[in-house]
Amino acid sequence: MDWNLLGLAFVTVFVSELGDKSQLAAIALGSSGKSVRAVFLGTAAALVLASFLGVMLGGGVAQVMPTRWIKAIAAVGFVGMAVRLLWDRDAEEPVCADEPAEPFDSV
Amino acid sequence: MLSVSDLPLLAPDAAAESMSLSSLDCSTNGSENRVESSLKPQGQAAATNPAQPLSLRDELGIFLSTFITIFLAEVGDKTQVTVLLMSAQSKAPWVVFLGAGSALIATSLCGVLLGKWLSTRVSPRLLDKAAAVLLLLVAGMLLLDVIQG
Repeated sequence: MDWNLLGLAFVTVFVSELGDKSQLAAIALGSSGKSVRAVFLGTAAALVLASFLGVMLGGGVAQVMPTRWIKAIAAVGFVGMAVRLLWDRDAEEPVCADEPAEPFDSV
Repeated sequence: MLSVSDLPLLAPDAAAESMSLSSLDCSTNGSENRVESSLKPQGQAAATNPAQPLSLRDELGIFLSTFITIFLAEVGDKTQVTVLLMSAQSKAPWVVFLGAGSALIATSLCGVLLGKWLSTRVSPRLLDKAAAVLLLLVAGMLLLDVIQG
């Protein structure tokens, strides 16, 4: 095992991902989502699969996949999630306000 | 004399029998009540309390929506390009994948935990607005990538 290469790959990717789109999305979804576990597993699995494809396909990713279109679709997906977040909270609001006995429910 | 001595013998038996029956009745009633009372709050809680644990189906939905959007966003992104360049340069693509994969798991764990921590600090209403803005920002960054090529 080439530990230097392993460390280099880890540090490079860790630094380049810090504060990147996917981590921002993970923060947003983790804070608002009802299930932190599902968000974490989804994020980690997606990132690992993307890097796996990067390793497998090498330089051919751009040829195999229309990355611009895929990114546009992803952007639409994030807008949809943002809208759903605002919509869901607005829909839940009256129910939550009418529930003063919430501490008793958890007992 | 016989009848007098027999009666007290019979009577306690009968009394014991009736008592044991009634106590049996009581115990079955009690257990029934207990079952009902143990069922009721759960049903009520599931119906009214939104903070209950999610069903597997809901969780799968969250997992899939997260997975698909993040995967689509990351395809062709700079991290993927970095990984493929490193794996092409080195002769050990699996080592690069191992390093990159663990780094990605670490960053997503950091992100999710930061979000979780924020959710204990900020009111849910404000947090959802902030999260929506953050997601729109991510969408904007993606669209910028699309426009820039």
